Amino acid sequence: MNKKSDMNSGKRKNNKKERVTPKEFSEKKLNFTKITEGKKERTEEEELKQARNALLNILEDTEEARKIAVEERNKTLTIIQNFADGILVFDEKNNLELINPLAEEFLGVKKEEIIQKNISELSETPKFKHLIKLLDSFPEGKAIKSIFREELPLRENLFLEITTLPLIMESNLKGTLTILHNVTREKNIEKMKTEFVSISAHQLRTPLSAVKWTIRMILDGDVGEISNEQRDLLQKTYLSNERMINLINDLLNVTRIEEGKLLYEPKLAQLEDIVWSVAGNFKQEIKRKKIDFKFKKPSQALPKVKVDQEKIKLAVENLIDNAIRYTFPKGKVEISFRCPDKVIEFKVKDSGVGIPKDKQERIFTKFFRGPNVIRMETEGTGLGLYTTKNIIEAHKGKIWFESEEGKGTTFYFALPTEE
Amino acid sequence: MAKKILLIEDEEIMLNLLQRKLTQENYEVLIARDGQEGLEVMEKELPDLVLLDIIMPKKGGFEVMEEMGKIPKLKNIPVIIVSNSGQPVELDRARKLGAKDWLIKTEFDPQEVIDKVVKQIGK
Repeated sequence: MNKKSDMNSGKRKNNKKERVTPKEFSEKKLNFTKITEGKKERTEEEELKQARNALLNILEDTEEARKIAVEERNKTLTIIQNFADGILVFDEKNNLELINPLAEEFLGVKKEEIIQKNISELSETPKFKHLIKLLDSFPEGKAIKSIFREELPLRENLFLEITTLPLIMESNLKGTLTILHNVTREKNIEKMKTEFVSISAHQLRTPLSAVKWTIRMILDGDVGEISNEQRDLLQKTYLSNERMINLINDLLNVTRIEEGKLLYEPKLAQLEDIVWSVAGNFKQEIKRKKIDFKFKKPSQALPKVKVDQEKIKLAVENLIDNAIRYTFPKGKVEISFRCPDKVIEFKVKDSGVGIPKDKQERIFTKFFRGPNVIRMETEGTGLGLYTTKNIIEAHKGKIWFESEEGKGTTFYFALPTEE
Repeated sequence: MAKKILLIEDEEIMLNLLQRKLTQENYEVLIARDGQEGLEVMEKELPDLVLLDIIMPKKGGFEVMEEMGKIPKLKNIPVIIVSNSGQPVELDRARKLGAKDWLIKTEFDPQEVIDKVVKQIGK
């Protein structure tokens, strides 16, 4: 304190009042002892005066410092009050220490009614319920150790991104800070985009089915005989149309992923049976490309998995299709399973073109296709692996791969078994 | 006597194609261009089978099935859905309403429609 007031006094040399620092004060005091008796009375008076001044100075400095602190505090509070995000602070005992007006507005609560209340009490108020439930869902209970981010649809047309982080001061947890960021606009745009794709995809399907059926009936001779040349052209047109249909279906799947409506009523199933039936669809292609295809059936039945069969079929189909498509004729494709702890692992290994190292991190990105496979096959939407990854993850599974350009690729996925 | 099939479909070209295909297979084909008209024809003609689209003007396919369920003489006529869409939720709803089968237009060829019809009511 002395030191500080010393410094402050030093800074304010222009101050009109006579200032004496404690240091000067004690030095002067030493000098006083040498002063003669006759002058004693007067010096004592001066001494007191100076002491008083010094004391006043210290007090004044303290007051100044307090004012600065209060000003800083008010400034910080004003920032918090006017912040463009909602802010909540819980202390180390999980009592609500602070809430700013925007957070009050988001949650539809009044500060006076909830301040200083404990999180457990707040979890019973309807307006807080969803938020607290979310905050409570941290992996390690209520002890929040790092940044946590989640989206919360609070009510009609209000979508918040919740960020929670621990407030740590000198390695002690002083509470938690929760930030409510309004992402309604972004969510709405995303929704509009998804709806647009969904509607246009449905609309596109109608004329495509008309084209499909017309060509099919002509090809089947339902509307009279056709020449071989006509047949040849129509067959190609039919296939082009099929490609378009597949593309639309892929787009529809992507919109379902983005709408979060991907899975439908998962049921118990044998993964190896699903894979076996999917692999059967590739018989012709395997024969055409003379691919050495192996399906290593597990020696005993695998534990069951709970899956949306149609979606898992699609995921497996995408992986096998890629393996065969991007392997040169007479290459190898091998499917096998493993059953480590509580998961079933599917593996499809090919001797194909591989994924260039610098492109590997983008492999699951929507619309991405490797440059080497584009050269090989122009057809392809770049939606297959994106869809596959989302399907596997929607089943709480994991997907990964190993690949070397020119040597081949192995894709794996693991699904939790139903125990 | 030829079996009667009622085709309820709002899209002209699909209507044409299916009508042609079914007639070739010696079925008697009745047509309606929306759900409302479909129910009227149904009550008058009592077909052996209904091929039903889902998204149509005036009355959609689901509503048609709901109303059929309320009318005793229509209740047991087999229905096959022929739709552009085929989401699991829709399939479930159709099954609960008593539909016998479901076809997604882009996934099936006209011949497969015939196969499904034959499976339900024979030639």
